[in-house]
Amino acid sequence: MKNNLYLMLVLLLFSCEKEVTIDIPGHEEKIVIDGRIETGQPPFILISRSKDIYASTDLNSFLNGFISGAIVTVSDGTNTIQLDEICTDNLPPGTEEFAAQIFGVPAEEIANYHLCAYTSFNPIILGQVGKNYTLNVQFEGKTYTASTEIVQPTALDSVYWQAAQGLSDYGYSYAKLSDPENSNDSYMWEVKRIDKLPDGTDFDKSFTKTFNPVFNDEFFNGSTFDFWYENPMAFKEDNVEEQFQAYYKLGDTVVIKFSKMDNQTFEFFEKKYIQMSSGGSPFASPSNIPTNIIGGALGIWAGFSPSFDTLICKP
Amino acid sequence: MTKFTLILFIFYSLISFSQEKFTISGTITDGKTGETVVGAKIFIPSKSLGTVSNSYGFYSLTSPKGTFEIRFTASGFDTVIKKIELNQDLSINIEMPTKQLELNEVEVNARKGENVSSTKIGQIELEMNKVKTLPAFMGEVDIIKIIQLLPGVSSASEGGQGFYVRGGGPDQNLVLLDEAQVYNASHLFGFFSVFNADAVKSANLIKGGMPANYGGRMSSVLEVAMNEGNYKKYKLKGGLGLISSRLTFEGPIKIDKGSFILSARRTYIDILMKGLIPKSSPFSGSGYYFHDFNFKANYKLSKKDKIFLSGYYGKDQFTYANTRDDFSVKMPWGNAIAAIRWNHIFGPKLFMNVTGTFTDYLFKFVSDQDVFKFELKSGIRDYGGKVDFSYFPNTRHKIKWGAEYTFHTFIPTSVSASQEDVVFDTGLAQKLKSHESAVYILDEVDVNEYIRINAGLRYSMYHFVGPFTRFVNGAINGQDSSINYSKNEVIKFYNGLEPRISGRILLKDNSAIKAGYSYNYQYVHLTSLSAVSLPTDIWFPTTDIAKPQKGWQASVGYFKNFKDDRYETSVEVYYKKMDNLIEYQEGALPQDNVNDNTDNLLVFGEGWSYGAEFFIKKTVGKLTGWIGYTWSKTDRYFPDLQAEIFPAKYDRRHDLTLVAGYKLNERWTFGASFIYATGNTLTLPTSWYVHDQDILLNYGSRNSTRMADYHRLDISATLYDKPTKKHTDEKTGQVVESVKKVRSNWSFSIYNVYNRANPYFLYIDNDGDLLKGDFKITVKQVTLFPIIPSVTWNFEF
Repeated sequence: MKNNLYLMLVLLLFSCEKEVTIDIPGHEEKIVIDGRIETGQPPFILISRSKDIYASTDLNSFLNGFISGAIVTVSDGTNTIQLDEICTDNLPPGTEEFAAQIFGVPAEEIANYHLCAYTSFNPIILGQVGKNYTLNVQFEGKTYTASTEIVQPTALDSVYWQAAQGLSDYGYSYAKLSDPENSNDSYMWEVKRIDKLPDGTDFDKSFTKTFNPVFNDEFFNGSTFDFWYENPMAFKEDNVEEQFQAYYKLGDTVVIKFSKMDNQTFEFFEKKYIQMSSGGSPFASPSNIPTNIIGGALGIWAGFSPSFDTLICKP
Repeated sequence: MTKFTLILFIFYSLISFSQEKFTISGTITDGKTGETVVGAKIFIPSKSLGTVSNSYGFYSLTSPKGTFEIRFTASGFDTVIKKIELNQDLSINIEMPTKQLELNEVEVNARKGENVSSTKIGQIELEMNKVKTLPAFMGEVDIIKIIQLLPGVSSASEGGQGFYVRGGGPDQNLVLLDEAQVYNASHLFGFFSVFNADAVKSANLIKGGMPANYGGRMSSVLEVAMNEGNYKKYKLKGGLGLISSRLTFEGPIKIDKGSFILSARRTYIDILMKGLIPKSSPFSGSGYYFHDFNFKANYKLSKKDKIFLSGYYGKDQFTYANTRDDFSVKMPWGNAIAAIRWNHIFGPKLFMNVTGTFTDYLFKFVSDQDVFKFELKSGIRDYGGKVDFSYFPNTRHKIKWGAEYTFHTFIPTSVSASQEDVVFDTGLAQKLKSHESAVYILDEVDVNEYIRINAGLRYSMYHFVGPFTRFVNGAINGQDSSINYSKNEVIKFYNGLEPRISGRILLKDNSAIKAGYSYNYQYVHLTSLSAVSLPTDIWFPTTDIAKPQKGWQASVGYFKNFKDDRYETSVEVYYKKMDNLIEYQEGALPQDNVNDNTDNLLVFGEGWSYGAEFFIKKTVGKLTGWIGYTWSKTDRYFPDLQAEIFPAKYDRRHDLTLVAGYKLNERWTFGASFIYATGNTLTLPTSWYVHDQDILLNYGSRNSTRMADYHRLDISATLYDKPTKKHTDEKTGQVVESVKKVRSNWSFSIYNVYNRANPYFLYIDNDGDLLKGDFKITVKQVTLFPIIPSVTWNFEF
């Protein structure tokens, strides 16, 4: 962040910028694994390919990046389950909306695409706290493996809403956390408003991560303290005035999903959000997002142990 | 070591047969201001003997007895000729008379011929007065900017202050201001150096063949000497520029005995910005300024003793305020430097200089958001002392020896954070302490009429001492442990021998071949997270984990002068090897320093550089200037970053500079400079991929992308007022001309005349929404400076 301030000053003073096309050698296509498993949920895996920096970025080439035909298994140490490939052109009834969320394609159009995900309906492989899950992906003659743990959850002590200074109808969400001593703890904050819109549909369809949703206890190991998060959804809503966009409105009902994860998963998300905020800035040292996948793929096989709280935005 | 003593022994045995000899010694000063003259030539034509005054104006010349003429010459002064009868040791102090320049008369460089005759290889001296009319960015003449125009030296980036010498890093340059070390020689992210042109007398750059009296850095020495102040009368001079102004006051403490100079500068970008940002704007209160002061005083205690006190204090302050988000950042940084020196002349043959120095560099970053406060501090503080002796046993030898000691305290990063009354555990502020010391001896010896050798040996030592806490990182999710060292406990000791040798063979046709070899240890490192050099770069000492940088350089050159020394030319080739270079490991973040040691985040590697430098300089005539061209290749190898060797970020295949000054008449002087350089390398993402509907980037091989080439032309013009004024004598009624008391000039500069959009950096911009189909990744190039004209009014009275 501080480096971006330099940038601002420098730009403020004199500079100008233009688009250029220069030779950036060294692109090498890799498999990208976006896999997760959380308490009580089945494993869910998307596989895609990385693209050259100058490659076309339209919707079709993005969607064509997802691949099918991989053999994917998940093991909890005792049971090894081969996951089912589920494709959008052949969805089990009632899952169109869910699939539309995953791929970001309107539900009514989703059947026109052949986009595949890997999951299992076998209850044996639903995520359980304390277990280690190993992922194995075989595709085009190569094998990729990774393992992740669903760690012990830590629930928030309390959640509350407070009006922002000088405002009565808008404010941030607050929480009190007692961080366990004697362990490295990493957390993720996601939210979903469960109010209904006037037409009866859900306000938010799925959980949204805040701008910097992960943190660990490096600075506060073992302490109890309050912290706040902004509302990440309102920024995308056109009907909210700019000055109120970071806040929850008085009366909102918000479900907070507060998840814990293992160290490698945290590192992936930490570096991911740092890269997204500094995105290609020359003031940051060039860094690739680490992965826990062995075999030359990008991405993460992530285990989460969430705990949920409902916050009613009232003073 | 044994070889070295053998060499010394041979040279001493060459000390010539016993003919009765006496020594002439003294100090050369400027007759007008009383300041010492560095590099004046003292020559006895009938004996073909000569020497040059040292950096304190002192000279010593030994000759067989007899009656002869002795000539004193220095650039900008009339030659002084003394007839002497030498039958005892003589002390001759010379006040050089200022040259009376006739209109259109050309100045003769008194030091001409030195290009060929000295053993100096890879060494360039600049006098501030000679370069003041060259084009200057924003009208601020800057010695470091001019040094960047010399072959073998390149700037970090547009406007950048960090300079790279022969493939070495920006931390490998020993920058000395009156013998005190300067750690961060830049203001405003490097667009200005800390060296105020009015306070600077001269600069000397050594980029190869470093003599043994310098050490602690691998690539170069930049020695900047401050003006001493006028010994004769009080003077006030200054300059008013568009974004900055400066003022200098100098004068005698006691006429011909002591003098002082005080110089101050301030920029007013912040005041200009206040006008541009309305009070109602949330950004009101944002701005930037720097100010700095130079001070120097000298006093001649006796004929044999002189003391000097010099100081520098500078502060930069950058403020960013955003009242809407209740967010503010303050970023002050600056240097405080002081040096006290004592010169003592033991006799005509022995000269001593004792120096005590203090250096302090501090960088702070304070942010406030709502109730959350964050403060980051990084700095370095040195206390040092050294003693140097120069001994002139006879005209064939110049021997120097001395010792040096510095006590370093480094604060790599100290972070404190709080939220209302809750203070977060950010670990102890780590202070790293160390003792650095060295002893050296060198001898410059004329083996015969043609061969001169400068051989020396330096022995350096380094003690990394407690108190110190070493954090040992445990396995993932395991507990970390730490080791505590008590106060003054030696945690690690390093030492090394640093042989240095350079030599010159004179050839018949006014040319010479020179060669040099030097081995250097460097006990400090600069760690940089970013691709551009910033004050956030952290100085870090050698520790038990971070080993001292070390390396060697060999160079060979051919030097030839043409047309009665009007043209000086040289070709030099060099090869340089560097070990124990440092970089941050991939993805390291500034906050990773907390509760950890910075060196736990570093990776170590090696580097190579080789190249050829071509230089042609015209020193005499209406048109003066130089052309320099460098071909070079610089590589790095860091096995922990990647398995392959990669180019350094300032690896430059071609670097061409043209500098010209033209004196049209007494009133108009013009200057121009042109630079062409291969673009810097950088690491850009080669691929993008999608995770959870977010676009992520993947970087390729280090520094595999090259920015567009850099080129730029600057021009300048200086208009001097008439040196005399006419008035009518009341008594005689005649019109007489008298010299003006107040002198002034207008200096006009145009930076980047043809408005070239040179790359400062490139970045990847992604815009739009992937799912809406308007997503786009583009490579953007940021250019800092378009064409910038500037005007400065300078005055002196």
